[in-house]
This record gives sequence, structure tokens and C-alpha cells, in this order.
Amino acid sequence: MSTHAAAGAIDHHHDHTTTTGIPNKKLFMWAFLASDCMFFGALISTHLIYRLHETPNQPDILGIFSLELTSFSTFILLMSSLLMALAVNTCQKGHVGATRKMLLGTILFGLIFLACQVYEFNHFVHLGLTLNSNMFGSTFYTLTGTHGVHVAIGVLWLVLMYIRTFKPADGSPWILKSFIHLLVFAVVIVAGMKALLGGVHALQTAHGLNGEAISLFFEHDFPAIVVSAVGLVALVMLGRDRKAVEFGEANAVDVESMGLYWHFVDIVWIVIFTVVYLLEYI
Amino acid sequence: MVQYLPVTRLTNGTYLLGQMTLPSIFRSLKTRALSCAAVAAMPLFLGGWGNWNWLTGPQSTFDTKGPVAESQLDVFYVTLWVTGITFVIVAGILAYATFKFRARKTDDLKAVIPHQGHGNPLIELGLIGLSVLALVFIAVPTLRAIWYTYDVPAEEKASAYEVNAIGLQWWFKFEYPAEQIDGAGTLVTGNELVIPAGRPVRINLRTSDVIHSFWVPKLAGKVDMIPNRGNHLWLKADEPGYFWGQCAEYCGESHAVMRFRVIALNETDFAAWVAHQKTPARTVAPYSVLNGAPAAPYEFNNPGRNAPGYSADFDKAPFAAWQAKQEIDAGEDPALIAQGRQIFQQKTCTSCHAVRGHEGAGVTAPDLTHIGSRTTIAAGLLENTKQNLHRWIAHPNEVKPGNKMYVGVPLQSGVMAGYVKIDPATGKPEETPHITVSDAEARALVAYLHSLK
Amino acid sequence: MSAHAKTDFVGHDTHAAAPVEKRSWLLTRPTAKTGLVSWLTTVDHKKIGLLYGISALFFFLVGGFEALLIRIQLAVPNNTFISHQLYNELFTMHATTMIFLAVMPLSAAFFNYMMPLQIGARDVAFPRLNGFAFWVFLAGAIVLNIGWFVKSGAPDAGWFGYAPLTSTAYSNQFAGDMSTDLWVMGLQILGVSSVVGSLNFIVTIINMRAPGMTMMRLPVFTWMTLVTAFLIILSFPAITIALVELMMDRSFGTSFFDVSGGGLPILWQHLFWIFGHPEVYILILPAMGIVSEILPTFARKPLFGYPIIVFSGATIGFLGFGVWSHHMFTTGMGTVATAAFSLLTMAIAVPTGVKMFNWIGTLWGGHLQMRTPMMFALGFMWMFMMGGFSGVMHSAAPADAQQQDSYFVVAHFHYVLIGGSIFALLAGIHYWFPLIFGRKVSEFWGKLSFWVIFIGFNVTFFPMHFLGLNGMPRRTAVYDGNMGWNDANLIATVGALVLGVGIAIYFGVMIYTYFKGEKTTHDEWDARTLEWTVPSTPPPEHNFDVIPTVHARDAFWYEKTHKAEIEKEKAEHAKAEQDHGGIHMPSQSWFPIVAATGLLIGAIFFVNHIMIGAIAGGAIMFLGVYLWAVEGPGGYHIHLDDKNHDKH
Repeated sequence: MSTHAAAGAIDHHHDHTTTTGIPNKKLFMWAFLASDCMFFGALISTHLIYRLHETPNQPDILGIFSLELTSFSTFILLMSSLLMALAVNTCQKGHVGATRKMLLGTILFGLIFLACQVYEFNHFVHLGLTLNSNMFGSTFYTLTGTHGVHVAIGVLWLVLMYIRTFKPADGSPWILKSFIHLLVFAVVIVAGMKALLGGVHALQTAHGLNGEAISLFFEHDFPAIVVSAVGLVALVMLGRDRKAVEFGEANAVDVESMGLYWHFVDIVWIVIFTVVYLLEYI
Repeated sequence: MVQYLPVTRLTNGTYLLGQMTLPSIFRSLKTRALSCAAVAAMPLFLGGWGNWNWLTGPQSTFDTKGPVAESQLDVFYVTLWVTGITFVIVAGILAYATFKFRARKTDDLKAVIPHQGHGNPLIELGLIGLSVLALVFIAVPTLRAIWYTYDVPAEEKASAYEVNAIGLQWWFKFEYPAEQIDGAGTLVTGNELVIPAGRPVRINLRTSDVIHSFWVPKLAGKVDMIPNRGNHLWLKADEPGYFWGQCAEYCGESHAVMRFRVIALNETDFAAWVAHQKTPARTVAPYSVLNGAPAAPYEFNNPGRNAPGYSADFDKAPFAAWQAKQEIDAGEDPALIAQGRQIFQQKTCTSCHAVRGHEGAGVTAPDLTHIGSRTTIAAGLLENTKQNLHRWIAHPNEVKPGNKMYVGVPLQSGVMAGYVKIDPATGKPEETPHITVSDAEARALVAYLHSLK
Repeated sequence: MSAHAKTDFVGHDTHAAAPVEKRSWLLTRPTAKTGLVSWLTTVDHKKIGLLYGISALFFFLVGGFEALLIRIQLAVPNNTFISHQLYNELFTMHATTMIFLAVMPLSAAFFNYMMPLQIGARDVAFPRLNGFAFWVFLAGAIVLNIGWFVKSGAPDAGWFGYAPLTSTAYSNQFAGDMSTDLWVMGLQILGVSSVVGSLNFIVTIINMRAPGMTMMRLPVFTWMTLVTAFLIILSFPAITIALVELMMDRSFGTSFFDVSGGGLPILWQHLFWIFGHPEVYILILPAMGIVSEILPTFARKPLFGYPIIVFSGATIGFLGFGVWSHHMFTTGMGTVATAAFSLLTMAIAVPTGVKMFNWIGTLWGGHLQMRTPMMFALGFMWMFMMGGFSGVMHSAAPADAQQQDSYFVVAHFHYVLIGGSIFALLAGIHYWFPLIFGRKVSEFWGKLSFWVIFIGFNVTFFPMHFLGLNGMPRRTAVYDGNMGWNDANLIATVGALVLGVGIAIYFGVMIYTYFKGEKTTHDEWDARTLEWTVPSTPPPEHNFDVIPTVHARDAFWYEKTHKAEIEKEKAEHAKAEQDHGGIHMPSQSWFPIVAATGLLIGAIFFVNHIMIGAIAGGAIMFLGVYLWAVEGPGGYHIHLDDKNHDKH
């Protein structure tokens, strides 16, 4: 896996040492995260200020929250951080195959977290908590929604990074293929998310895993199931590329910067989980 | 120019703390400071500009008439002295250095190379120390005045009079919670706040739409009226008087013409004023001649938008003008007044304006029960003369663009039309006006409103 | 060393052993060095700096024109020159334009152009991102100003946009008024531009310094760039979130600032000023940096107390986050908060004063060359000192209760922003003009423009102190003639016209000089810092034939006094670099402008509530970013035509 093959022997962006020895991309990410801290700081402050003020139509928050579900999704997100760390580690060692697996794992866990959030939002809206039903709804959805967007961007980035590991080393055309790969991912994610939520809905309607639940699931979500299944097969096929690839140790800094972002998003979630959810219980 | 009133000092807790406090030293210097500044500036502005009135206008922060504004001015003088002295020193050194070290010839650019010194930590630290010291001079009186100006001093709390001031686009409503009227609730007036002199007045600041700011410079600095926030200020007028005020926070299209007046009365006059305000609107019996023969009709030409509504006669003695305004006008025309009262209903004025005792119970616009006794109309903008009132009624949008009387009020269900009906979709007025006021109708309305003493 | 260079491109590199990469037409790199395409696709920090500079000066003139209309309206009492509504639009757009579209980008122009040269770098850390920041800035500027040309009119809620005046209930009472939406969207886009640009500068300054350029050898302008960049990335999030919340209120029915839903309009003020006060330092610190470059050059001695100047700049930046509520002394914060913010505000005067003392110290014992840039820099010192002192007056909250929202404040911040920022930026243009264009402005015309501007400025703004103390509130379209404000207002208007003439002379002379001015040597002022070591003026694309090695704080001054040593060192380094493949330069790219265009399209559709168009704009932006990532940074090499180094 030659890193410099395509760019020729004179790629200074990688062997050019920086003043501090910290790669530019990593420093950029650190500075960006400092800025992002202030974004979340402003949002969390807004939430807390309005939580401490009397506002009309205050909902029964404890009756709406489901601590079990949110604890589960928090745990999943934390575990995704572990996988992300492993992805960085394997990439630094040059194990592209292992890196791919870890990236896929991180993507999967990120998606489970997002699915939980979609489910949660749906559920809350059913219970009457909407964006404009009251101030709690406004601050809650804006804050957790902004975080969700961060996770979604992280997932997109992970997917792009995963796709990038297939960029052939010989410089043969790849853009179109990468784009198709991305589209397949998008289809699988959307259809899979729909099927997953449909399954949960079926389980709830039928009160357990029984024949009724299964028939309900297939009745309502058959297209989504088929599309996600076909998409998954396509993903596996696309992932079986055995050509020499450009991706290697030199990309560790890219994966690491992405990892910084991902860990940051996780840490922010822990703060949000504490401030928005746990504080309600004391 | 600035009156130093030792009497007010005695009631001012801040200054009882000691004879030789910093503010007292600065105070003794301040009169001289102002005259020095004025004298220094005179040559600049005297030639051709005649009388010096740059700091003596009706909203001057130097011509203070109460302890709150006075203590704010004292702090200002402290800052002026400290920064002024610092300026003289620093600017002097800067000017000296610039002059002393400038190259005499510009063509010897590379000829002379001065000593390449990098600095002197001792000098630098010393200067930091001096700046901190200078700031302490400002900080001490600042802190005192922050506490003093925030609320009525404890020893005066008992005698304080309470008023609510409510900002609306673009006028002020004043409520007197202490003055309850049987069957009509709290006494309410608009745009002219009458207060007792020599007594602290605590003003609760509210707003019913956007942010406004209550500012009567001669009595006190401003405090904002912010939605969902209970602000207040306090002030005291040392003597009876007539004061100019203005909204000081940008509040939309006609912010510039959202003004008001404050009238301070001695205890007797104030009690009489309150008693009169509590009475319902005056009714002029039709077909009776009360005050001599009806006056000849006034002349009216629309002076156009933004035209001034003040007069030199009024400004010469505004307090006397206010007192005169309490008297019933000579030459009232009872027939015209009765006609005006009818038109007031026909034109739906009553749905927004209240005239207690007559028709009209609206609360979204100023209470007009005693409009005839106010010195100004259109939120302190125009003197309350026949011509001005006519102009305001006939051409409101040229006096105060965007005012609700003209454009109407947007409601949950459509729009309550004003003089024009605005199409909510386009924001443009419909072709035919919703309310028209002819010259004759305006005259009748003027006669009616001016009869409401 | 000859500046004559030939170039070859990665991928067509005959020296490279690797196979030639086949690139899809989508990823064909633009290579034009002149003409429109070269500007649209540029990644050269100098070209981007010029783009920033030209746009900023254009908007400076627009904002100045708006100011003149305001002053004409106020020349006489009860004037009917313009309507209240137009007046409100003018003061809103004058402030927004001057802050976000004139002073900030003009500072950014110098950051872009000078900072890499001052640290001895060939470009910024992320050249394409730098281009993106500019094009996004332009998109934001267009969105902000588009209101002038459509039915709804320009934004009119004030540059501070205090809730609830910006809510749908008050800003569009009768019809769908998108002026406030344009304002919200425009500021958000400008925020993206500023943050992205600043992240780039931070990485560049920390990571791209030439060998020997330690942090305590950085030129002060570069230091101030760094502090400003940190202020931007830490303060813009506050206003962005405030704007997001406002947008949610306006578009999705939330009630962050809507009282009927329990909203607190005061929260907007806090979020706005947590951004807004650091913003004040974002506007003034670059100016202080420029002055700190000019004074030593023309005093011909090093900056007095460099460490303290740097440290005070950083302190100002730090304290700048702790004084926001002094903009809110009249909002009824209570005694303790008012006192705390009052004291902190006084504290920030100390590091500011320190700078003034050190500048005077720099002049002391020097050999002052009274050239035009020096005149503007000295003008800055005088005017900024005045503005600083009236600032100290505001810090005393009780005095501020009378001054807040009066013309006294207008006088104060114009002394700081025109007398401070603009004077320094105009000084900077004069100072670096020979470097950027290889020509210099005639001393006579330069000094004439200075004096006209200086006099016009003071005649305009000094009387405003009196207006404020005499009770005239800001943002008022008309005033009555019996308030004692007539003379001062008329004088101010006359002054504004003089100031306008001065600015016209200034720019007229600049344009003339660009075409016909006297050619200069490349070290016109006998300067002290690295940007003047470029091999030619204007600087070549690759900035330095040899990356300099820095041995002292005033690096160029050291080079000039140690010629032999430096020559030898440079020759060695040049050889090493040539052996290494030549001078590496980043390739141009179409995708920054494509992504920014997508953002512009999406924003305009979003403001008009056409979601399909907004999504389409977003898709274009995504595609731009995607291809940007796929195309890679690229790069090519320059081989200097020098027989000593021509090893190929």
C-alpha cells in the first residue's frame, strides 16, 4: 500500500513538518472544537435559563422522558467512541482492512444513536411535546437536534472516509464509483432506519415479539426491508474491492482529526444528557 | 450654568459619608471645569452661531433638576477630570515626542539610525500602576452612585410615590396605582407624567410591545422598558417644573417621535390635579354659551410631514403654559363640541380611545378623558394647539409614520383597520381609505377634544 | 536571486517517477495565472487578500454613502429629506455594512496578504479553504444587501436587532417582510466565513512559521491577527446561536424571544453582546497591529516593550469576553452585576493604555520620518486616545445611564472605529501599497488626504459629544429645532461632507497611483519585518525564493545588518529545497466558489421559504465540498531559473 505512489515522489503536504509538529488538520480540528464548544455553550445556557424561568404550558417532563432509552443510546454513543479510537489505532498501524471494520462499526453505532433520537423525537411529539408547544420543547429540540445534526455530519464523514479507503492506488477513475457507493449508503441508511423504526412500532402495537408483530412489520415496511436488504448486499459487494488502494498510514491524521470530532460530539452528549435529562430527576 | 444645591445634599445619603470624600473634591471643581471647557470652546463656536446653548437644551444632562441626575452628573465630572488630566499628560508627551524626535530632512532616510532600544520594564510597570490608580479614582464614586441611583434610598421609601410607565409603539401610558377611581379602576393618563415635586417617585417600567427606554435627562438617566422584565427607576424633582423626555431605545419606524413630558407639581397642586383627573370627562351642555361668544374659526394649512409643532412662546415658560392649559378655553362652541362628540363615535375613535364618562372605552390608545388639559399631543411631539390637533387628526401618517391610528392594528384574525385598511398579504393599503376626516369634521373633533379639560 | 521562474504541475511532472494520474474532466485543475478564471479559482493568499480588500473598500464606500444620507437628513431640524423608514434602513445597514462588510474584511485583507509574508510562509495552511472563506463572505454581503433591490426593503431593525423588534409580530406586522430574514441569514453566512477564515489563520500562524520565527519574534500585526482570530472563533458562535434561535422563532413558531411563549428578550441582548463586545476588539486589534508595524518602521527603532504590547493585546482579547454587559447598563441588571461589569470595563482600559504608552515609547528617541503612513498612524494615536477616554467615561455606569443610546456614544465609537480602526487601515494601505503594487502615493496628495480626512472627521464627530450630553438620542430620524441641537448637527453634517471629500481624494489618489504612480524600490520605507524581503514588488506567487530563517524579532532589520551571514544561509537553503523537488505551491481549484455559490443559492431560496430551492442550493454546496475533497490539495513546483540550483 504505497502512500505516495499517486502523488509522485514529491508530495510535500505529508512530509513537510510543521512548526509545532502537530499536523495542520489536527490543529484545525482542535481550534474548530474550541469554537464548537461555544456553540453548544450558548445552546445549553439558553436551555438552562429557560428551565430556571417560569414559562407557560410547562409540560410534565418526567412523564415524557424515557431514561432507559436515553441511557441506552448514551451507552451506544460512548461505545462508538471506543470503535473510533480503534479505527485511528489500526489506521496508524496501516491495517486498512481493520480500519474499515472499525469505521463501519462506528457508523453503525452512530446510526443506532440517531435511530434512538428519531424514535425519541417521534415519541415525544406523540406525547404533545413539539418544537412550538412550549419553551421546553423549543430549547429541547433545538439543543438535542443540533447535537443530532453533529452526529449525522459525523456519520456522513465516517461514510466518506470509509469510501475513501477504496480509492485505487493506480489513479484509475473512481469518482463516479465513490458517488454510487455514497448513494447506496444513503439508501441503506434511510431504508434501514425506516425498517427499524417500523419494527419497533410493530413490536409496540403487538405488545411483544409474536406473529402479529411480524406480520405487521412485513405488511407496513416490506419495501423498506427489501430496499435495505438489497442495499446491504450492494454495500458488501462494493466493499469486496481487492485492488491496491492509496489509503494508508499517511491518512491516519485524517482519521484522527475525524476521531477528535467524534469524541467531542460524544462528550457534548454526556453534558447534554446530564444537563437536559439527569438534572430533571433530582 | 449648573446649580449646586446644598439642600438636596442633605437628603442624599451618599454625600453624608464625609466632608472630604473624593466626590466632594471633584464637586467643588466641577463648576469651574464646565466654565473652563465652555470658555475654551467658545471661540470655536461663537463666531456666527450666537448664543451658546450646546449644553443647556431642554434635555440637557448638565442642567440637572433632581438628585438622581445630579449624582450621575457628579460621576461624569469625576470621569471627565480623571480622563481630562490623563489626556493632557499623555497628549503632551505624545506631542512633545512627535515634535522633538521628528527627522528634519526627509531625504536622509537611512542616514541616522537611532538607538535600537527594546523597552524599559520599570517604566512600563510604573505606568500600569498609575493607570490602575487613576481608575480607582473613578471606581469609588461610581460604585456609590450605582447603589444610590438604583432605588429610592431607605430613609425616603416611606414618602415615595409610585407610578407605572408603560411603553407602546409609539407613546407612553402612565398609571397611578395609588389613585383608584370608583368603578373605573386605576387612574391612567398618556404621554404627560405629572408627579409631586420634592418627593421621590418610583416608576415601574413596563412595555406592551417592543423595548423602549424612559429618559428624562434633567431628572434621571434612562432605564429600559423590556418585555417580560420588571424594571424600575426612581427620580425626584427638586422644584415644581416642566421637563422634556424621550424614548431612548430604538423601537421601530417612529422611534424618533416617541416623546413625553414630565410635570412636577407642589403637594397642593398635585393633589388638586389628581382630584381633577379622577373626575369623568367634562360635558359641555349643547346650545349654551359658557365662555363668551364662539371664537372665529382658526386657519389650517397642512404644514406637511415632520413639520415642527413647537413654539418659542411655549418654550419661554412651559410650566406656565401647562398651568394655563388647565383652564377652560375661551370661546367654546357648544354646538361644534356636540358634533365633535358624535363624530368621535362615528369614526370609531372610541374602539381604541377611552373618554371616561363619555363614549369610548378603548385601551389600546391613549386615554383622552382630559386631553384638553395636556400641553402636547402625539406623544409629546406637538403642542396641543387647535392647528396641531387638526393636523394630527387629519394627517396622522405625516406626523408619526406607521402609527396605529393610521395603519390599524394587526390582530390574530385579520387586521383592525385604521384610517387605511392594509392588506395583510401585500402590506399595502387598500385603494379606498377606511376612515376619512374632512376639514369640517376635524374642526368639530378639535373642538370636542379641547373641551375635555 | 532571479525571480524568473518556470513551473511544472504535479501529474505532468516529468521528473516524477510515478505514473501520471488520469484525472476526470471534473477535476481538471484550473491553471490560469491571469484573467477572470485566475481570480475565481485562486488559492493564492495575496490574490484572496486583494479580493477581500477590493470588496471591503467597495462596501466602505457604500456604507459611507449611507452615512452621508443620514447626515444630510440630520443637517437641519424637522427635515423631510428621507422618510423615517428609509432612515431606519440606512442606519441599520450603515452599521452592519461598516462592521461586517468594510472593517472586518479590510482587516481580513491584511491578514491574508501580510500575515503569511510576515511569518515567512508561502501560503496559508489551507489555501482552498481560504478562497472558500472569501466567496462565502461575498455571498453573505449579497444576501445582506439584496433588500435594497426588492420590495420588502433593506433590514431596518438596527444592527443589534434587539428582540422582539425582530419578531414576525413587529417586523412584519402586515405583510411577509423578508428584510429581517435577509439580515439573519446574511449575518449567519458572514459568521461561517469569519470562523472558517480565522481557523485557517490560527493554524497558519501556529504551524507555518519559518524556521527561527518563535512566537515571541512574531511581528505584532501577526500577533494581533492571532488574537483576533481566536476572538472570532470564540465569539461568533454566540451570535450564530442567537440568530438560529431567532430564525426558529420567525420560521418555525418557537418562542425563544417571544414573550407570549415565555421568551426573554433580554436573553438576545446577552447573547448578542457576548459576541458584540469581542467584536469591538475584533475591529480594533488588527488596527493596533498595523500601527505597531508602522511606528517602529518610521521611528527607525524597535517597538518599545514588545512583550508587554503582545501581552496586553492578549489580555484585551481575554477581558473582552467579560465586559459584554456594559452595553446593557440601562437594562436594569441590578446593583451587583452593574458594579461588576463597571469595574471590569475599567480594568480593560489598563492594557489599552499600556499600548498607548508603548507606542509613545517607540517614538521616544527615534528618528521620525513623517511620511503619509506615519501621519495616519499618529492620527490613529490621537483619535483612539480620545475615543478611549470617552470609553472610560461610559464604564462609570451612573454616567452611562445618561450617555447610553445618546449621541455621546455615537461620538465615542466613531472615534474608536474611524479614528481608530479606519485610520489605521488607511495607514496600512499606504504603508503596504509599495509592497503590493510596486508604486507609491505622492507624499503631497497622501498628506493632503490625511489632513482633509482628519479635519472632516473631527468636525463631524466632536460636536456629537455635546449633542449626546445635551440629550439627543441615537437612531432618531428627526429632531425638533428647539432642543439646542441645531448648530452641532449642522456642523457635523458639514464635517461629514468634508470627510467624504477627504475619502474621495484618498481613493482617487490610490487609483491614480495604481496606474501612474512612481515606481518604488522594494524596501521603500527601510522596514523591519519579513514581508519586505520578498524578491520583487509585487511579490511573486511563491513569495520567497528561499524560506527565510529568522534570527531576531525584527527579522528583516537583522538581515540588513548581517548581510553576508544571511546570503550564505539562503544559498544553502535554496539548494536544499531545489534538491527536494523545487518550490511546492498549492493548485488552484473551482470548488471553493462552487460550494459558496451553492450556499448563496440555498440561502436566498430559504429566506423566500422555497424549500426545494434551498435543498438544491445545499446539494450544490455538498457536491462542491465532495469534489473538493476528492480532488485533493494537489500542488505543483516552481523551479527558479538560477544556474546554481538548476539540478534538473
